[in-house]
Amino acid sequence: MDNNFHDVERRLKRYWYTDGIGELICGGIFLLLGVYFALQQYFGDGSPAGAILQSSLVIFLIAAIFWGRRLINLLKTRFTYPRTGYVEYHTAEKNTLWRIFTAAIAMAVAMFSVMIARKFDAIDSTVALTGVLVSVILLVNQVWSSRVPRFYILSAAALILGIVLSISGLPDGYNLGMFYGLMGIAFSISGGLTLQRYLKENPLPVDVERQNG
Amino acid sequence: MADDLRRVTELDRLIHEPARLLIVTILASVASADFLFLQRETGLTKGNLSAHLSKLEEAGYVKIEKTFKGKLPLTVCKLTAPGKKALTQYRRQLQDFIQKTS
Repeated sequence: MDNNFHDVERRLKRYWYTDGIGELICGGIFLLLGVYFALQQYFGDGSPAGAILQSSLVIFLIAAIFWGRRLINLLKTRFTYPRTGYVEYHTAEKNTLWRIFTAAIAMAVAMFSVMIARKFDAIDSTVALTGVLVSVILLVNQVWSSRVPRFYILSAAALILGIVLSISGLPDGYNLGMFYGLMGIAFSISGGLTLQRYLKENPLPVDVERQNG
Repeated sequence: MADDLRRVTELDRLIHEPARLLIVTILASVASADFLFLQRETGLTKGNLSAHLSKLEEAGYVKIEKTFKGKLPLTVCKLTAPGKKALTQYRRQLQDFIQKTS
């Protein structure tokens, strides 16, 4: 019976991804990251602009995650909750431990991949590592916990893109920029199509007073 | 054996009702959910869902709160600690009965 309860939880967790808004915002963040790495490569480490960019990555990531979450909440309040309702999920300790475990596995796999990749000079290990990391995180965290089918495709896309770009011969920064840019486009398309379908299948309820409790 | 089987009559009838069992199961899987979400997930009509939620609230199994998410008014439902305990006990009793009769 506990297994069935877990299935219920998983099914309800899938509701968070039903509108594609999370993917759209993630796509936007990835696109910005793509521009960031491309600019970093363009300006170079020696220039003032390059130095500023290099030192601001952490701030950029924190700001992107903070504003990304706010934007997701805003868009869900505007589009999702009035149509199909509001859910708040448990943030139980076991989920945090699972996420830490996932991140640790992803790092270990990525490090191992880099060790192998460094044996071959023709491979850009940074973008290969990034591709493996994104793929593993998507696979373990999203697919395993919520089993949303389209994340299988995005996971495979990240892995293939990472490998293909790592042997492309482009300078490292442009490779990384291309990876995030293309993954950003992939997430945006996936999220956009999902949102389009969601809005079509779930028109706004006619009666505004939907709370009759 | 007869005593073991008779224990099924002690099942919590408030939770044993199929619609309420569905409501309580959904609420046990999330931190909270609003009326619209519950209505869509259970397939119940507004009046029906409202009636069942009232019974659960009277028993102290569910807490209902009218709140806002931005400008959007919400009626948010949450399973209380007694509600969680009642569901766990119900599931244990039912599992016990099924095991003894299968």
